[in-house]
Amino acid sequence: MKMAESLRHSKRAIGSRQVSWWSQQRTFTWKELCETLRDRRTTVTLFVMPVLLYPLLGLMFRFIAVGNAAQLAPEYRIAVETEQEAAWLSSVIQAGEQILQSRPLRSGLSSGTTPLEPKVQFLVPNDAAEFDLEQSVAEGNADLGVRVSFSERQISDGFPGADVSVLQAESSPQSNSVATHLRERLAAANLLTAVNTIRQSGKSFSMPIEEALQWIKPLNQTSAILGLLPLVLLLMTVTGGVYPAIDLTAGERERDTLETLMALPVSRARLLMAKFIAVLTVTMLTGLMNILAMSATVYALQMESTLFGESGLSISLIFKLLSVLLVFSTFYSAILLLVTSSARSFKEAQALLIPLMLTTIAPGLVIMMPGWRLEGWLTIIPVVNILLMARELLEETLNTFPATIAIASTLLYASAALSLAARLFGTDAVLTGSRSGLRDLLRRPRDVSEVPSTAVGFSTLAILFPMHFLASGFLTRVSGTDFSLRLIVSAVLTVSLFAGVPVLFLKWLRIPLKSGARLSHIPVRIWPGIVLIGLSAWPWIYEMIIGLQSIGFQSLNASQMQQVQELLKAWREVPVALVVFGLGVLPGVCEELFFRGFLLSSLRREMNTAAAVIVSAVCFGLFHVVLAGGAAPERLIPSTVMGLLLGSVTCRCRSVVPAMVLHGIHNSTLLLIATFNQQLANLAVGEQHQSHLPASWLAISAVILGIGFAWTAVATRTQTESRMLIPESQR
Amino acid sequence: MSGDSPSVESVIRLHELTRKFRTERGDVVAVDRLSLVTRAGEVYGLLGPNGAGKTTTLRMLLGLLAPTHGEVDILGTRVSEDLQKIRQQVGLVSASAGLYQWLSPLETLRYFATGYGLSKQQTAERIEELVSRMGLSGFLHRRTATLSTGQKQRVNLARALVHDPPVVLLDEPTRGLDVVGSQVVFDFVAELRQTGKAVIVCTHQLDEAQRLCDRFGLLHHGRLRYEGTMVELQQQTGLSSLVEMFLQILGRAARQTVGV
Repeated sequence: MKMAESLRHSKRAIGSRQVSWWSQQRTFTWKELCETLRDRRTTVTLFVMPVLLYPLLGLMFRFIAVGNAAQLAPEYRIAVETEQEAAWLSSVIQAGEQILQSRPLRSGLSSGTTPLEPKVQFLVPNDAAEFDLEQSVAEGNADLGVRVSFSERQISDGFPGADVSVLQAESSPQSNSVATHLRERLAAANLLTAVNTIRQSGKSFSMPIEEALQWIKPLNQTSAILGLLPLVLLLMTVTGGVYPAIDLTAGERERDTLETLMALPVSRARLLMAKFIAVLTVTMLTGLMNILAMSATVYALQMESTLFGESGLSISLIFKLLSVLLVFSTFYSAILLLVTSSARSFKEAQALLIPLMLTTIAPGLVIMMPGWRLEGWLTIIPVVNILLMARELLEETLNTFPATIAIASTLLYASAALSLAARLFGTDAVLTGSRSGLRDLLRRPRDVSEVPSTAVGFSTLAILFPMHFLASGFLTRVSGTDFSLRLIVSAVLTVSLFAGVPVLFLKWLRIPLKSGARLSHIPVRIWPGIVLIGLSAWPWIYEMIIGLQSIGFQSLNASQMQQVQELLKAWREVPVALVVFGLGVLPGVCEELFFRGFLLSSLRREMNTAAAVIVSAVCFGLFHVVLAGGAAPERLIPSTVMGLLLGSVTCRCRSVVPAMVLHGIHNSTLLLIATFNQQLANLAVGEQHQSHLPASWLAISAVILGIGFAWTAVATRTQTESRMLIPESQR
Repeated sequence: MSGDSPSVESVIRLHELTRKFRTERGDVVAVDRLSLVTRAGEVYGLLGPNGAGKTTTLRMLLGLLAPTHGEVDILGTRVSEDLQKIRQQVGLVSASAGLYQWLSPLETLRYFATGYGLSKQQTAERIEELVSRMGLSGFLHRRTATLSTGQKQRVNLARALVHDPPVVLLDEPTRGLDVVGSQVVFDFVAELRQTGKAVIVCTHQLDEAQRLCDRFGLLHHGRLRYEGTMVELQQQTGLSSLVEMFLQILGRAARQTVGV
């Protein structure tokens, strides 16, 4: 009896969760941070490495700079036969030098720093009788040979005049330089004598030509250093994350804490998220330390202007650098965790990380070369895009659009890596030590699932984003051609990307299309509501675009506007039905298949409905920012709102089909209005002088929209959203 | 013995539980159609030599490994249906389980209590109870890396009970412990029995099992060869000790292997 009571007591105690999700997540993260930051090895990497490295790099830089300067001061060897000649030549060269450096012969020498003057050395034989001047020059012992026969003539300042014969080595640049150097100074001395003679005769004289000289530092010298700096900074920063990443994943298994951790009634994704935040924190702390050490070094060695131009290392520049570091650290921490999650030991993790580090350094070295810019396809290449971004930030040449694409793609890659890591971390293979790991991700699953996993969702997203970007660029290339062809290309790209890619993934994963893309049949009673929403949503989306443009979100420049106008003209010549199908219905159906069918279902395996709808909507918005040949930031918010609407409808109806219809109707309505109404056509693409829609239109659409919502809500009341399709064990 | 009483409800049910592993030499069956039932207040000894499939069975019980075939049911919930609920009902003590070396025992217990979803107040109460029961007060704030093996084992036992689970699984709980350490484990298991937990102990130390368990399952090559109380086993086999029974199983298996 006592026993049964005790058991019941136990059952009560282990009832539902008594602590909030956030509080739990905070504890998970806190533990990971304690484990990492209390470890001396982490703190050593964190604090000692940057403090040692940057001063050393600074000194090296200084050394190289001084070395270069020393090489700039060449040594000229002039052979003469007697000491007397050497003394005379030396005095005349010095006098000539003074004349050259001072007015009236040369003025305006003040700007810039002069390269060092060559050091002239005279070679005088001990025994003139045995010395052959010609031979000395021919053998290269001297750069130049000079014979001086003194004359009665006088140079200014009391020097005796002379006939100077110069022996110059043929086709020797060095000999030529020395000869020129000598000639300039002899000529200057002659010139000064002439000027003084004229002035002594009582006539006024001034030089008809005055020369001013300014020394210019070549640009590529700075570029090379600026290219190196982000690479050093980013590499040093991610180095800080390597040890924690290994320690918190492979280390769990090596220290035999993994099993008890995995036995917690918490999803692997949540545990991994805590680890991710810990790794990211350490990485960012390392980044901060690096920037501090770098700033201190630059300040101490007075290299601000050399490295960062006139404005030096400002607070805003440090802030910008930290932002770039944050994006890069997010990406790299996720990648590190993906790699280390599959490892069963420290050793294995380290072995896996070496190729990763090498693949990071390689593009870094490439982008150091001047001439590479953050544009085109480079904006979607991981690592390269961020390195270029960092460099352009330092050079102050960074543009918003490529930066947005670079950041968006990098964050998408990071989420994909993280969700894949969550799939690997603590799996059977890692736990039992059986052979597999990273390869498991590429293996076709044996078990049939109903819905793609979140990892698959994010991975598909990470693949589709750059593909979509490239496809948009590709469409721009065919813009000059026939509109019908463009329409066909656009249709093919839309279908292959947004329908083809997810369908291929589903086939490969053996997931039925119907459940994997939520293509369930829906009752007829729901349709009227959906059609009404589809017909009446556009004025609001449109008003949102106008509103955003009026507060400065304007993306298309004059030439792009011109292109759009031409496009509009062209599409009026193509049958309306074709335009509506190619640009309205098809994108609507395909985009829904991916965003609401495939992605939303996969996200719901790890998130609650609201979070999944929001994440998929933001992704939808981001995709719409990328336009052929440019960006349309004003589309982010309206498209995200549209995504929220479509996501809610999908969840409410438990099928993606209504969202497809709604999206298709919405697109088609906009296209039809644009085709038939010149004024609206202009409005729809965002001209500066837009007028808002008449209030009556908005009122009518609001009423229809309201009816549509109400209808849909009532018609779907019986089918409240449940977590069907997803077996508990798979969450 | 409590296990004999049909009035006490069954807590753990394994039905035809099978797990195969893929190896380079083909599929290996680690657990083969294992079916058993344990009850509240009963200590079940899952016995067998190394590689018999004990740990694999425990991992399937916790949902750490998916069964190739068969089903685990704990207090009416199937592992395949609600994994998190199952995990909330099970405490795991493993000899090989490590502790987070940079955390103190207090921090470790708090971490796991929050992980199991206990509120702040529940956590505080539960930890207070476990600290006095397991005698952790002397080293509660020390870093676990600095603790002795016995102290670590006590922290491990407390960690397994932090959420007061109705089911406790012990995997080789006395491995690496001295006499005093082992006695702590024996007392722990006795207390679990008293408080009505359903307990499964996996071990290959048969004498120890004989002292600890109420009922036994003799596992060899993933198969349950004999099952019952000591008296029942003696009747079934005609042998007096667990060691003799095992030798018989091993001998038979060996004879089968060489075709005798």
